[in-house]
Amino acid sequence: MSFAALILRNVLSRKTRSILTAVAVAVGITTVVVLGVLTHSLKRTAISVLRTGTADFTVAQKGVSDVLYSSVDQSEVDQIRAQPQVESAVGVLVAAIGLDSDHPFFLELGMPPQDLMPFGVQIVDGRAYNADATNEIMLGYRAARDFHKSVGDTFTIEGTTFNIVGIFSTGQVFGDQASMMPLPTLQARERKPNTVTLVFIQAMPGADIDSLRKSIEHDMPELATVRTASEFGRIDRNLSLISAANVGVSLLALVIGAIGVMNTMIMSVFERTREFGVLRAVGWTRRRVLALVLAESLVVGLTGAVIGVIAGVVAIEQLGRVPELVGVFQPDYTVDIFARALGIAVGMAFIGALYPAVRAALLLPLNALRHE
Amino acid sequence: MNNADASHPAIRTIDVVKVFDGGLVRALDGVSLAVQRGEFVAVMGPSGCGKSTLLHLIAALDKPTSGVIEVNGQDLRSSVNLDRFRRNEIGLVFQLHNLLPHLTALQNVEIAMFSNGRGHGEQRARARELLQAMDLEKREHVAPPKLSGGERQRLAVARALANDPPILLADEPTGSLDTAAVENFLGLLQRIRQERHVTVLLVTHDTHVAAAADRVVHMRDGRIVSEQAA
Repeated sequence: MSFAALILRNVLSRKTRSILTAVAVAVGITTVVVLGVLTHSLKRTAISVLRTGTADFTVAQKGVSDVLYSSVDQSEVDQIRAQPQVESAVGVLVAAIGLDSDHPFFLELGMPPQDLMPFGVQIVDGRAYNADATNEIMLGYRAARDFHKSVGDTFTIEGTTFNIVGIFSTGQVFGDQASMMPLPTLQARERKPNTVTLVFIQAMPGADIDSLRKSIEHDMPELATVRTASEFGRIDRNLSLISAANVGVSLLALVIGAIGVMNTMIMSVFERTREFGVLRAVGWTRRRVLALVLAESLVVGLTGAVIGVIAGVVAIEQLGRVPELVGVFQPDYTVDIFARALGIAVGMAFIGALYPAVRAALLLPLNALRHE
Repeated sequence: MNNADASHPAIRTIDVVKVFDGGLVRALDGVSLAVQRGEFVAVMGPSGCGKSTLLHLIAALDKPTSGVIEVNGQDLRSSVNLDRFRRNEIGLVFQLHNLLPHLTALQNVEIAMFSNGRGHGEQRARARELLQAMDLEKREHVAPPKLSGGERQRLAVARALANDPPILLADEPTGSLDTAAVENFLGLLQRIRQERHVTVLLVTHDTHVAAAADRVVHMRDGRIVSEQAA
């Protein structure tokens, strides 16, 4: 009989307790996986909005609760554009509306037609809308496909009917699922005159992007520049809060799981005191007893991790079907999330079993053998 | 630590004292005893006379308050690795067998061989060999709760012999056996002594069992009061 076989045998000999402990670990791991995937996916969705087009970085109002609430005055766009290292600065107004139950989160992008090319928009069919047209719209090719629309058709948004004059591609899934219209038209619809949500900056070739960002933030302290997903929290506090909650819940899961494991392992060690006495009496070292208890806990923890990950994935798939999240939340599973779940499960098992294991290892053989 | 020097007794205790409860209970009060290699010594005495305590100290399950215990010439107070000592130098048989109920008979023997440096295959072969020697080969996959009292005791002996120790210590090994099982156990003990040249120190209440020993040591109030050849 190998040591590993003995560990499994011991775990399986107390099926109910092992399963209940694994379930407790699994609940924690499910939470970690769901929150991890949710946070990561929302970040990815948000960052894909920022990365629409070919910008080097994006500028938005600092510290708003949601990036869509960002408000940048067009005069500030002109000020940015005037910076010596800026090749282009495209101000885009972004609005989100619920079209129907299948499309609860549909993006409208407002920008001048002359900025389409610098922004990286390619018109794949038809033409660009006119700068002052109030009833012309372009659809991203994915949106056109979803709605079975083509150039020449009409498209109705909140009671207003637009003529589809072009189909575009941005190279970003999020952008290609959106619509575009002249900036003044969307500003009027949203009652946000002379305002854009985001400014997409393309720097001159060879420009020092970091110094350019610093310069913009220095000149306009109410604005923040974002280049990577990890910086997104600077302009979107909601996502920062979700990220912080994710870390907090992970730690909480670790603590609660570890307490659950500890409770089980203390009970187990107490009940098996005589068994440990026998093992010590036949020559087992303290280290081997320690390893036995820790390894048994690890097996339970890893079983809980597997159950928790499966339950987490199932929960996430169900979450993706919630109408309010359709289009916003597209599950994105990364190795990091599962590695963190695994690490937390191992942490629960190890921290939870450490004290009971040390206690078992330090038992005096004779006292243990006399234990009733 | 298996000391091959035959000039030393297998077991020697010199003026061993063991007190409990801060000195309120004097379990052993200056016990000096020598057991020669290959000898079978039975220790008798009323309950609480200290015979089991003496056995536990020799098995390094506990430490004496004072005095010297030597096993195969090695003083247990010195820097002996007690885990290795318990694994290789002695085999322990308890009255209540102390078998692990969730493991099979075979596995109960195998767990005593962990860390003895043998591979799993060799450990399994050795466990099977011992079960065969104890007439338990057909019961190797049976868990202890489903074995008879005699079978459990034979299994406990098999486990005690797993690492081929030169000394077998038995604490009331026949206390829970019926007459027939006691006879079987005594026969087994004699066979083990002949085949393996094992030194046996056995604690018992049973005069019939003690009569099978080479020598009987009587204890009372923590002292050896008499010794006689059986």
